Amino acid sequence: MDTSKIQELFKSELKIVCVGPSLFSTAIEKQGFTTYQVDWIPPAGGDRELQALLEIMGGLD
Amino acid sequence: MNICTRIEKNRYVDSLDTLFMMSVLNEQEGIEVAFASLASDSFKETIKAENLLTDEIRALKGSDFVIVARAESEAAFNKALDIIDKEYASANKVEKKTYRTSKDAVKEHPDANLCQIAVPGEFALSEVTKALNLGMHCVVFSNNVPLEDERKMKELAREKGLLCMGPDCGVANINGAALVLASINNRGPFGICGASGTGIQHVAAILHECGTGVSQTIGTGGNDLKEPVGGIMMQMGIDALEEDPETRYIILISRKPADSVLAPLFCKIEKCTKPVVVFFMGCDRETVEKHGGIYASNLDDCAQRALELVGKSYRLESDEELHQIAAEAIKGVAPYQKYLRGMYTGGTYLDEAMRAMEGIIGPIYSNAPLSPEYKLEVSTNSIRNSAVDYGEEEFTQGRPHPAIDPGIRQPYIMKEARDREVAVIILDFILTPPGHMDPVGYVLRDVVNAQKEAAAEGRKLIFIATVLGTDADIQNKKEQCRKLEEVGVIVAKTNFVAAKLAAEIVRMLGERR
Repeated sequence: MDTSKIQELFKSELKIVCVGPSLFSTAIEKQGFTTYQVDWIPPAGGDRELQALLEIMGGLD
Repeated sequence: MNICTRIEKNRYVDSLDTLFMMSVLNEQEGIEVAFASLASDSFKETIKAENLLTDEIRALKGSDFVIVARAESEAAFNKALDIIDKEYASANKVEKKTYRTSKDAVKEHPDANLCQIAVPGEFALSEVTKALNLGMHCVVFSNNVPLEDERKMKELAREKGLLCMGPDCGVANINGAALVLASINNRGPFGICGASGTGIQHVAAILHECGTGVSQTIGTGGNDLKEPVGGIMMQMGIDALEEDPETRYIILISRKPADSVLAPLFCKIEKCTKPVVVFFMGCDRETVEKHGGIYASNLDDCAQRALELVGKSYRLESDEELHQIAAEAIKGVAPYQKYLRGMYTGGTYLDEAMRAMEGIIGPIYSNAPLSPEYKLEVSTNSIRNSAVDYGEEEFTQGRPHPAIDPGIRQPYIMKEARDREVAVIILDFILTPPGHMDPVGYVLRDVVNAQKEAAAEGRKLIFIATVLGTDADIQNKKEQCRKLEEVGVIVAKTNFVAAKLAAEIVRMLGERR
């Protein structure tokens, strides 16, 4: 298969988006790499019914 | 004692922050026991067992955050809350900008090329899909991701030519960055692709210790080589490492892949122009060699076969040397002490250890035994020779991995140590940047207390430990080993060696009786 995008990653400076607990981005930053922290929260505040509704209405990004 | 609560409707707090709050709360004066969590059904069950489930909490939704404690007084509870609020605020002091979604982050930083995702399993597919569509490679830490979701995310990744490492991926090392729970490793000529995080880390750490290292390590997630997922990421990983000019040798590690997944994998291995060391647990030598692979029989052997390719080797104790160490260790052990207890933080090491021990002392009881008839009825009630995986879901529900939260295993050390028939306790430790900063220090007091208690009763406890990591890790492997050795713990070079030594001790104790 075509691995050109993976080869490109292997040659590039890492710029890492971290989605979830900031512990992980802090751990990567400590090693000298760049991270962009996304403070993730469950869609619709974790409300399952509202999530299902939003999904149908295309409201979840 | 009063039951005190603080409820915040629709406040999301992730499991690491929850853990932080709980550990601070439980240290406060006047607090007998405290819990903090989103009000999920499993949390309600947990606090019900502690007689802390009030009607008010029972009525809460999973999106509500609750702190509940049995406290001396409402005043003591409020004082404790003040302390955690202050400590939480200072620990979470925002020093850099954060984003609401990965889309927002990429909009501002179009150079982002990798996305590390640690969200609850049920949301992983949605986050991975977004990241792949934004053109980023992914490493997915989330566990409990349904296999059909894993298949979908990997098919999308393949279509886009992007890596999707994980889910349930403990280890990846890309361009020298230790991601998720990987150790920090030297860079070198070995590209590793594996479905076992511990396995990858084990081999990479030995390569590091022998003065060589890894080009890239690609953790595929433990389910990649199961039939429903089809080994998509391992196949892509092999192709990528074959074409990567920095990789001169390829190492593949997994528990035995599904038969339907094996055929296309061996097809890839046959076509590789680089030497490929293959450790597929339970796969025989003939099959591996027939397809041009270099056969490895276990994780230590996998590292040795790889080192041979660069003219190096890793010295491990011979059976005769282990016999000598065991003979020395059993001096002072009481005649009624005859069993071992393995306390592991992950399944790969548990599995490897039980296989090594079984050949010397017979079957081992476990919460994840090699044969179902040796399953412990209650995972925390060991019998005879037992080994428990504290990384299993039953222990980690709502809590992070034991490498991050050593408090999962810690309470059981004294429990095992107080069993008069126990002679040997095995502990493993994992070093990784997001992990506990001093995992050995965390349990050292228990180890010392256990030894003292045993000595006061005329017993002797033999502790055997392994430390998985490198001297480049922030916790520093040498320093962690030194702390163990200072209190008389036998530090084994590898998990396999630790298991063989423990079993040899038990065998010799049996012989002595």
